[in-house]
Amino acid sequence: MSSSAEATGGVARAARHPSTDRPHRQIAAARPRISLFGALLLAPALILLTCFFLAPAVLTAVFAFTDMSTSTGIGKGQYVVTPNLLRELADAGLSDEVAEAVSVETYTVDDAGLEAAEAGGVDGRFLKNIADRLNGETYTAAREFERALRGLPDAPRSPRELKLAAEHFGQSVLNQRFDTSEELSATLAEVAPNVSEETRDRIVASSYTGAVWTTENFHTLATQRETARLVANTFLFVSATLGFFNLSLGLFLAIVLFYMPKPVNSVFSTLWLLPRITPVVLYAIMWKWFTWEGGFLPVLAEQVGLPSFNYMKGSVVTAWITMIMVNGFIGASFGLILFSGALRAIPVQQLWASEVDGATRWQQVRRIILPQLRWPILFVTAYQTLSLLSAYEQIWLTTNGGPGKTTTVWALEAFRTALSNYSGNLEYGLGAAMALVLVIVGLTLSILYLLLFRFGELVSKPRIEF
Amino acid sequence: MTISKTLTRGCLTAALLSTVAFTATAEDYTITVWAGGTNENSDYRYEAISMAADILEREAAVRGEDLSITVESQAWSGWDDFKQAFTLASEAENAPDIVVSGHEDIGPWSEAGLIRPIEDYVYFDVWPLNAIYPNLIDVASYNGQVWGIPQDAEARVFYWSIPALKAIGWSEDEIETLPSRVESGEFTLYDMLEAAKAMQDEGVVGDEMGFAPRVSNGPDYWQFYQSFGGEMVDPESGKLVVDTAALTGMYQFFVDAVDMGVVPATWLGSEWDMWHQNAAAGNYGAWHGGTWHYAQWTTQFGLENFFDTVQYSLIPSGGEGGRANSITHPLVYLVTSAASEDEAAIAAELIAIASEPRINALHAVKSAHLGIAEAETTVPLYAEDRWLTAASERLAPHTNAIPNNADFGIYWTAMFDGLEASWTGVSSVEDAVADVEAKVTQALGDNVIVR
Amino acid sequence: MTRNFSMLPLLLVIVLVSLPLMVMYGFLVLDTFTDAPPGELWPDRFTLRHWRFLFDPTEVGNVWAASFNSLVLACSMMAIVLSVSTTAAYAISRLHLPFRRFFLAGILVMHGFPAVTLIIGVFFVLNLTGLYDTMIGVILVKGSLMLPFGIWIMKGFYDAVPWEIEMAGVQDGAGRFTVWWRLILPQVRPGLVALGVFAFLDGWGEYVLPRILAPSSDIQVLSVFLNELIAGDQLGYDFNLFKSVGLFYTLPVILLYLIFQNRLMNIFGGGTKG
Repeated sequence: MSSSAEATGGVARAARHPSTDRPHRQIAAARPRISLFGALLLAPALILLTCFFLAPAVLTAVFAFTDMSTSTGIGKGQYVVTPNLLRELADAGLSDEVAEAVSVETYTVDDAGLEAAEAGGVDGRFLKNIADRLNGETYTAAREFERALRGLPDAPRSPRELKLAAEHFGQSVLNQRFDTSEELSATLAEVAPNVSEETRDRIVASSYTGAVWTTENFHTLATQRETARLVANTFLFVSATLGFFNLSLGLFLAIVLFYMPKPVNSVFSTLWLLPRITPVVLYAIMWKWFTWEGGFLPVLAEQVGLPSFNYMKGSVVTAWITMIMVNGFIGASFGLILFSGALRAIPVQQLWASEVDGATRWQQVRRIILPQLRWPILFVTAYQTLSLLSAYEQIWLTTNGGPGKTTTVWALEAFRTALSNYSGNLEYGLGAAMALVLVIVGLTLSILYLLLFRFGELVSKPRIEF
Repeated sequence: MTISKTLTRGCLTAALLSTVAFTATAEDYTITVWAGGTNENSDYRYEAISMAADILEREAAVRGEDLSITVESQAWSGWDDFKQAFTLASEAENAPDIVVSGHEDIGPWSEAGLIRPIEDYVYFDVWPLNAIYPNLIDVASYNGQVWGIPQDAEARVFYWSIPALKAIGWSEDEIETLPSRVESGEFTLYDMLEAAKAMQDEGVVGDEMGFAPRVSNGPDYWQFYQSFGGEMVDPESGKLVVDTAALTGMYQFFVDAVDMGVVPATWLGSEWDMWHQNAAAGNYGAWHGGTWHYAQWTTQFGLENFFDTVQYSLIPSGGEGGRANSITHPLVYLVTSAASEDEAAIAAELIAIASEPRINALHAVKSAHLGIAEAETTVPLYAEDRWLTAASERLAPHTNAIPNNADFGIYWTAMFDGLEASWTGVSSVEDAVADVEAKVTQALGDNVIVR
Repeated sequence: MTRNFSMLPLLLVIVLVSLPLMVMYGFLVLDTFTDAPPGELWPDRFTLRHWRFLFDPTEVGNVWAASFNSLVLACSMMAIVLSVSTTAAYAISRLHLPFRRFFLAGILVMHGFPAVTLIIGVFFVLNLTGLYDTMIGVILVKGSLMLPFGIWIMKGFYDAVPWEIEMAGVQDGAGRFTVWWRLILPQVRPGLVALGVFAFLDGWGEYVLPRILAPSSDIQVLSVFLNELIAGDQLGYDFNLFKSVGLFYTLPVILLYLIFQNRLMNIFGGGTKG
């Protein structure tokens, strides 16, 4: 069995393989119809990636510059004048007369209203009641008018029907939702004809309920104190997990297992792969059982007289250790596999020779093995930095960023801000801005890594052998 | 999060066909109900709608109409999942017809156009809606419109362990008068800390078990803000109020509690299950929760002799300028914009019927929530319940609600972030308060008053 | 080659390091059919009651419906990832296409991209296409997010197939499609198997996407089902029950892993998880 280390070890050694790429191109160039076939083969992937990868990425960038939230809705604003809006505008200098004129509601039973009601399909007998008994009356509150209507013999049973009928006799703009600014503007002009056009435009403009463009999100991120804490947490999380587990533990396991007989090797490799293939929800439950009160570690600690409490949530230090271990145990297998592959590629004669020369194991590891692992180590660092930066699922399901917010990392906070918080106030805009920051960091790093790993070679000769 | 789903099918149609010779065209409706924060004890949040559907069908049959209603319901035990699901489903236009949520959601949801004002579909001056407490109707109103029908009410409670109080030398009389001393402001939160500390020193409760607040975010924490004299909203202008002095007092209180060793610095984010178990087992000296926890402790966590072992009161005042208080957080039935005009009309009628005292009392008693109408307290089932009667007398008159304001969520999140930061010692109390002020003013500008 | 060195100390160290995992997985199995007294670690009696949930829906709900949904998700994932990656990777590996280098760089960048940060945008797209709260939506999204990985892996396999095989086929007058289908695909079968198993495992274990993009209880998958057990605050924590459901959930994973162990070892190296 050859190894996946070829994928990465191959990076270093790619130069040795002659590129097999060139001949295809020449042939392909000679037969242009092949491209069509290729485009056809590529199309499904392109479509899916565009729809569910690129489009969301672009949308994230767009949303980051809006104040989109639960109350603005996603992408569909309407125009509505509310009492609160008028109060806000009054604070900003709108005169009381205008506010009053706009918020007036009048119901008059006249011919125009009766006609409108008839055209609107209101029941004829009911209309006749209205015409007979209420003609000429004027009401200044919807409830008053409704009460009068309900007193009529042929009034509809359903409140909704009656209220809809009442609307034909009145003109009110307050709390009505309009889809376009023109509609609202026109109605405003009817309800309050004395209001100047300029004022009307101002009211209409501020009555928009949808999201608006803003750079406020980035301003908030740049100025709030929490940003520094989140960055520090993220940095600590990524570097500690990477340093202690993905690299050190992975390297340690790989080297130790390298010296072990095959059965031992395969038992431990399997064991360390389990966290990676265990569904994340179950994995989190196992850690809860392991660290919570009444769980394994606390019970054990109690029996030997050590402090026993909920290690996952009971203290900041243990919460951090738990969170790093939860992620690290998954990450260690990545390093383990890659490093093991690279180790197997070391010519055995070299090791034998060193042993004949009387090298100690430590010397063997340092002089022969570690130099061979330079590229894989670099690759693991690069690749895992990216995935750890955006890792939040395991944290969400275990410490959930607690106690308090002490173990909250950037990705988790972005997720919470945009999609999951107790008050139900989902701030998509701010969340997208946080995601965008991650995306940009991730992109920059990936491009750096591509340069570092000599993209040209990677493209011409990627190999993962089985 | 537990999502449960139930389906009730009206099976009156067949019966109708046999009794009514000629019927208008049959009307078939499927009404979907989603309920948040709903566990086994509070299943009447949606069961009531099913019962109402049955009644409405019968009423229609009596009138000679053929009406068939299928009620589909789904319940979430948590809030974040539920609100996320409802918000996203609404955006995707496959939201349910009726949603049962906290009244504070009316603000953002009405602005976003996710819900319909229920006042367009019902009369508030006819039975049973005219029986609902007016202050509850206010809680369901926003921007001059009534958006929902209150589904329940509650009070949040400060609980005290009677055995623990006795153990630190309190007399029967002192324990008996504690609630009134709390109410008058004579017994403060800091007195509570002293008592909790004494209990720990006495060894009747374990270390850091003297005081057990709520383990996660909730309206409860606004009570402590009020204890230190804070107001959430300015009654004059309706604007949100950030009272820095009250925030400081509140944050400092929890920091002091940690310093005194009566509560761990890492309390927030710990597990509900442990809290319930310890509360029900009498392992805490003082703790606070809601009236409804009584139902959970007695039915699920084996608490007996509640009235002999637990004293209950308002949340004490924080001292000078503060007041003892309790927050009620009524849930409301809301009709969504996803419902068609006809469905909305049916849904609103169902909600009105479900608000009948007798039906609502089923929910109130089963889940230990307070009733929504005076008449409900006379329903035998409700009147016989000692806890509800007691809580209604001692706590309910002093309750207030968090504001309906589309921006309140921003303030709330910032408040809780600050609380977490100061409680865990990540930042000082001053910094935490300054952060809240900065965040809220930056996001809301002139729409917030800073004191 | 390592006869010179003593193995015992190393073995001890590695056992020590692996102890947490051994304990966790050991007790995962043990606790599903035993009971331990409160506050004790070692079980003292055998019981099968933790497995009652399999046929008693009152215990935790309908686990079979959730399993079916998970199966649908995992299998569809596998189908999409396999078919789309296989075709696209062949095109990239063998055929002349404009912007080939650019496309490859894109795939590589996406491969390491924090894809899950895009979830708001994903919701918007699903909303537009009417796929929100549908299983198809989750499958498409999850499948697409895995494509860069799949294409990259499959491209590696195609690159390793000698060009002569294809040349021979083309010279015999077979069409390009026939060559690919008849001659090349069999050559990359190991890759197909590994990628397929990997896609299945990825879909089977997925939690965030179905949870957010398909909250309806009709299409609830096992991961969401299992997490609800522990997230509800009224149940009281019964870890033995959680573990039994969890073990039931993980059995297919372990089974697949044991069967395809050797092939998977390699592909996991390129996995996208942290």
